[in-house]
Amino acid sequence: MHLPYAIPTEVMTMEMFLMALCVSIFGLAVVAIAFGAATRPEKSVSTAQPELRPAKPATAGRFFADPSPALPSPPRSYVPTEVLLAKIEHHVRLEQAAAQSFLESPSHAQLHTKTTSQLVN
Amino acid sequence: MLYEQSEILKDLTPEETQQVLALGSRVTVSGGASLFRLGDTAERLFLIERGRITLTLPMRIRGKEEDVIVEERSSGQAVGWSALLPPYKFTLAATAPLETEVIALPRESLRKYFAANPVTGYKITLNLAVVVGHRLQLFQAMWLREMQRTVETHC
Repeated sequence: MHLPYAIPTEVMTMEMFLMALCVSIFGLAVVAIAFGAATRPEKSVSTAQPELRPAKPATAGRFFADPSPALPSPPRSYVPTEVLLAKIEHHVRLEQAAAQSFLESPSHAQLHTKTTSQLVN
Repeated sequence: MLYEQSEILKDLTPEETQQVLALGSRVTVSGGASLFRLGDTAERLFLIERGRITLTLPMRIRGKEEDVIVEERSSGQAVGWSALLPPYKFTLAATAPLETEVIALPRESLRKYFAANPVTGYKITLNLAVVVGHRLQLFQAMWLREMQRTVETHC
């Protein structure tokens, strides 16, 4: 039997090529889906992640600023002015005596002897 | 007081001592009274004959000006040598804590006497240099001690 028309050889070759291309693309798509399904991480039951909280509340960054609160300075004990003046006078007398000792026998040790003055101790 | 032992009249002959003392006048300062104040014109050098003179400088303490002792001078010692040094202004205040007698030697009288008696003038000037030098060395050492403490405390 003869076909009413004859299909040219080039057309048949093109059809076969396109068919092979479609099959290849389909196969590639199946492989890609399968690979994606295999490598996808399992979903956890709870999707809500626990919120991480910093140990200290966040503070705005500042230059040369101490984030810790300043400690209140202890109250200075009140010394009457007369007592303070007496201490100063005593200090001056001690310092003069020390300086006099240095002048009598000048040495580094004599110059820097420790004082018992309450004003500086 | 033996005037020959006075720091200013040291090494003077008795005659020279009498001549110098004759230039001055005895002044009695009652206890608590001021002999001179900071910034006053210094016209007289004082030789303490009896009692005590406290030299003070003003210091601001709790917003109030207080006189703080700098040095204490007693019998035989001199105060007020600013009277012999330009610009003839007292740089300290002097107060007598108790009744004190001083011999006040006017600058002009001393200057004329020194011009007429240079040898005596030289001796007194030398004695004065010892007093001034001692004060300088004493305060130099005191200042350095304070500086040392400042460095130890703050550096």
